[in-house]
Parts: sequence; C-alpha cells; structure tokens
Amino acid sequence: MKREVAGLWAVAVVMYVGAGLSRPVIAAQQPQPPAPTPRAQAPIDLTGYWVSIVTEDWRWRMVTPPKGDYASVPMTPAARKVADAWDPKRDAASGEACRAYGAGAIMRVPGRIHITWENDTTLRIDTEAGTQTRLFRFGASGPAAPAAPPSWQGRSAAQWQISGGRRGAPPAGGSLRVVTTGLRPGYLRKNGVPYSANAVVTEYYNRTNEPNGDTWLVVTTVVEDPMYLNGRFVTSSHFKKAADGSVWNPTPCDVS
Amino acid sequence: MKVRITLLWFVAALVVTPAYAQMDFSGEWGVRMYEDQPERVPGPELGDFLGIPINDAARLRAAAWDASLQTLREWQCRPHSADYIWRGPSQLKISKEVDPVSREIVAFHAEWLRSVDRPVYLDGRPHPSPNAPHTWGGFSTGRWEGDMLTVTVTHLKEGYVRRNGLPRSDKATVREHWIRNGDFLTVMTVVTDPVYLTEPFVRTTDYELTVNQQVPPYPCGVVQEIVRPKDQVPHFLPGSNPYMEEFATKHKIPVEATRGGAETMYPEFRAKIRKP
Repeated sequence: MKREVAGLWAVAVVMYVGAGLSRPVIAAQQPQPPAPTPRAQAPIDLTGYWVSIVTEDWRWRMVTPPKGDYASVPMTPAARKVADAWDPKRDAASGEACRAYGAGAIMRVPGRIHITWENDTTLRIDTEAGTQTRLFRFGASGPAAPAAPPSWQGRSAAQWQISGGRRGAPPAGGSLRVVTTGLRPGYLRKNGVPYSANAVVTEYYNRTNEPNGDTWLVVTTVVEDPMYLNGRFVTSSHFKKAADGSVWNPTPCDVS
Repeated sequence: MKVRITLLWFVAALVVTPAYAQMDFSGEWGVRMYEDQPERVPGPELGDFLGIPINDAARLRAAAWDASLQTLREWQCRPHSADYIWRGPSQLKISKEVDPVSREIVAFHAEWLRSVDRPVYLDGRPHPSPNAPHTWGGFSTGRWEGDMLTVTVTHLKEGYVRRNGLPRSDKATVREHWIRNGDFLTVMTVVTDPVYLTEPFVRTTDYELTVNQQVPPYPCGVVQEIVRPKDQVPHFLPGSNPYMEEFATKHKIPVEATRGGAETMYPEFRAKIRKP
C-alpha cells in the first residue's frame, strides 16, 4: 500500500512539473525574450487589397438616397432634425464634404481598401472612397488624447483577439477588435443621418477562406452615440480579397 | 483508500486540458435589422433584384411570380429555408448538445419563429447520399476554425434568395461562418447555386445577445384565403408582369440596376449608373 501511494505521488510530481507550473522559477533564472510585436502576433493576415461586395443596403450605399430615407437606422428625434436639414451643397462649401467618409461609415461605403502594416504596432487601411487613411494602433487604449483634434478617422486602439494558443499551443485563429473615438461629426448615411463627436465605433475584423479559393474579410461595426442613436447600431460589411492593386483608383470625398 | 482516491483526482486534474477551442453560441439572440429593414420586415418590393448575382433564368422565374401564390393552401405554412431564415424578421434561439462523457459540443440547434428545428452536427458524421430527401432546414455539419464555426449545408428544398420571387434551386449549397464577438453574433452565408446564381451570394447578418427574450410558438393553420378553382396557380406568363419596373420608378433607380446580376454587387457599377 505504502509503495503504491508513493508511486502515485511520484506520478503527481512528474505531471506537475510536466504541466509547466515550475516555469516561473526557470524564467527567473533566464533573460526574458522580447515580447512579440503585434505584427508578429497576428493570428490572421488582413493585409492586401479587398473589394467591398454590396449585397446589402444597396439603395442606401450605391446611390445617394433622398433626404428623409432613413429606413433601418435607430435615430433619435435630434438625429432626425439634423438629417432633415441635410444640405450637401452647404457641406461642400464649408469643407465638410467628407462627412460620409468618417470611421462611423467608411467601411460601408462601396470601394476597395488596402490594408498594410505601417510599422510593427500600427495597421493601416487606405480607402478608395474619399481617399481616407485609418491607423489602428496596438497598445494604445482609452479615449483620444485631449490635444489631438477630432478627425474623420479619429483615434483607433487595436487589439488581437486570439483563439486557442493556451499552454504553448499555436493560435487557432482570431480576430481584430478596434475601438475608435475622437471623431469629427459625420454621417452614417450619405443623406445626412448623423453621428456626433461623442460617438464610439467598435469594430471586429474576421477573415474566412472558401473552398473555391475566395477569401473574405468580414467587418462588424457597432456605433454607439446616445445623442443620435437609440441603441447600438450594428452592421456588418464584407470584402472579397483582390489579387492585386491593379485597378486601385482612389477618389475624393463627394457629396452628390 | 482515501489517500489513493485523492491522489487519483489530483493526477486527473493535472492531465485534463479544457477544450478551449469551442465558442459557445447557445442562447437567445435578438435580430438587429439595421440592414435592409424594409426588405426584411414589410417585405421586398416587386422587381427589386439589386445586388444579387442572379442569371436570366432567375429573372424569368421572378417575373412569373405572383405574390398571391402565398395564399395557396400548400404555401401558407411554408417555413423559410435554412439559408434565408438568418435574414428573416425573427428572434433566434441556439441550443447546444453536449457529449456527456467528453463534454464536447456535438451539435447546435438553431430555431427561429416560423422555422423548423435546424441541427448543425459537429460529431464528424458525413452528409447523406445526394438522393436523400431535401428539406427546408437541409443537412448541416460544422467544424471549428479557431473560435469561428464553419457550417456546410446541403439537401435543401428549392427556396428563395429574396421573398419577391427570386429563386434558389435545390442544387444549391450553403456555407456559413458563425462569428461571436462578445454579445454580438455575425453570421456570414455564402450561397452557391449552379442553377440561378453566376457567383456566390454572400451576406452577413447580425444578432445581439438578449437574455430576456423567448422565441414564441408559431402554430400555423391552413385556411381558405381566396376562393379560386382548385387547379389555379397564381402566376404571370413571360413578358406579362406589369409590375417589374415599379420599384425602379418609385426609388428613381435605373431599371438596369434593379434587374440585378453580379455586376451590380461591385463598386464600379456606380459609375455605370451615375447620371452625367
């Protein structure tokens, strides 16, 4: 009996060590390797050229809808008042032509996007529509610095959401979460449906691979804006991977 | 004896590794219709084929379609098919089946208002023979890609890609990606149909976790809605449907755009319809 118990204790100790629970002791004795950069850590590759495929909300995205066509958007009365006063010529004249190309709406605007790494900690998205640039900074969290003036694309804090990868196993996939604040007031829709400077835009980027060789980028966008929205305004947009940038054609912001 | 049992538990606790790769999709999900709301709640308008990669055969079928078809006894309790129901105006309930020994999820069941129970098997079973019956829910198997669940659906009865007569054949297959981001569920559907589509038809639909909802029952009874001869099926003969351009006129959209087709899905199409 004593021999059997001793044997079980021996197995338990071996398992304890094998499970890696003694690593902190070892770690204290050896210099730590530098933490991998967000670029090296990426569980999915989002880089490349992507083209938006417009199979949803076609008549609000592919053409400029008429004033008053606000279907699907949970607007507050204050938002309706602003939208009812929409005047595209006034926007153009006052330097506000890019209102429909801000971070609250840009992923929903038809066109191609180009995703690259600006550096090891910043993912960059360039858009054909409105010739906009978005910078997703990893390791940056919280609201925009007070000194930073609001902008169409605001300040975006990015974070990988890695699935799997526990206990030393390689990641099984993952997604990108981006929170954007510090926005200049813009439009959710080209016909003046507004979001305010206090809007918070949370996005999730996922990638899929299909048996026919197609690769898709799915972007789920959640806009929160108590001033102009009655709830969390969630939409999801999809982009198909393009072979290259041979037809890349950036265009300026357009109010028409 | 007690010492032995304690030690065995200790060893077992060290050996067992939780199955981290399984995302839990079970729960009550509220549909968020912030996309295409007019199409999904009141219903699509006749002749609106915008942004769908259909071919001429699909256009011909849709032009022959008469909404009064829905009043036929055979159609009144017809549920939405597995590929369309995601986009329907209904709450969603997902439940899970767990293997009692391994504790792994072996199936999810999705259920909406006015739908059939739709199991998605994760236990590695094969799809049935092509000659097996086709149903509204089809036959679905899933596999994990990280935290994303990828589902393959076959054996569907003929259905529709839009509720205004645009058909989807029983030869179509569907691939789904279930993606959970916190309290949000985004489902991407990829419909491939060699009969009526020239390219895969892709949509993404969003739900939000809603803990205080319940999918209500939908008992459906068949009644005589319209008195008509038994053998009469509402339809339009080719070229005789007078309503095909109403949508274009009402919304001031070029008729060529409303006729759909793969070209209308791409951003370049805007230049083609832009007024000079």
